[in-house]
Amino acid sequence: MASTRTGGPLTPAVLHILLVLSTQDRHGYGIMKQVEADSQGRVKMGPGTLYGSVRRMTEAGLIRESDKKIDPNLDDERRVYYGITALGQQTLAAELQRYRQVVAVAHERSLIPRAMGA
Amino acid sequence: MGGQTRYRRWYRRLLGLYPRPYRERFADSMEQTFADLCRERAGTEGRGTAAFILWIFTETFVGIIRERASDLARLTMARNATAVFRIVKWLALATGGLMVAGVATVMLLARGTGEDVTGVVAPALLLTLLSVVAAVVAAILQVTSGRSHRLRAPTRRFWTR
Repeated sequence: MASTRTGGPLTPAVLHILLVLSTQDRHGYGIMKQVEADSQGRVKMGPGTLYGSVRRMTEAGLIRESDKKIDPNLDDERRVYYGITALGQQTLAAELQRYRQVVAVAHERSLIPRAMGA
Repeated sequence: MGGQTRYRRWYRRLLGLYPRPYRERFADSMEQTFADLCRERAGTEGRGTAAFILWIFTETFVGIIRERASDLARLTMARNATAVFRIVKWLALATGGLMVAGVATVMLLARGTGEDVTGVVAPALLLTLLSVVAAVVAAILQVTSGRSHRLRAPTRRFWTR
């Protein structure tokens, strides 16, 4: 609920979309492919999950429709691009901070194998 | 290529199941993304394609259910709660009425025959009682919801999942 606004946990889909859009605006297919690449193929999003998340995120003010333009790498169809908002940046930063704290606790308790933690 | 066109047509039909506002906003982009995914898969034509298409359709269908559910929840929680409770109240009353009519008919038909109709009448009476309880609860909720709606502005739920 309101926890998201105050740095509460985000769903993996929302986190990955924010991560992808934090560097540049992208269209739906571009987001999908970048999420797959960022997660080394572990997170696979279909159009249902992607656009459902996009709807909720735009309603929450985390992302916005930035423009409608042509992707020169694909075809000549115009595509809707999405970009991150200031609130989205803040939410992402808060979530990454939360992850950092979780990892710190795990380190303290020696829960992270040496090879991974190094 | 023909297969892709066919899949795209089916996918377009599937997208028609989304709530209208969602469809108007995202259907074209979703279809475009689906076409991109199909194009990407075209290079790896084979056994995996059917499974991939099936996954996309299933995943989208799950998305449709999610959107429909949140649409319904929004409808119920916002301004139309009173209307929903009103419908439930009348449905419960109608069920109760039908049960009473059924019991009366069974008793009328069984009169004088000496047939034991307890097995039919007892569950029907129980259902009637439950219907009346449901109708009363729905009526109370209808009044409460109508009153609270008049007193405060509609709240906006924050997204999470």
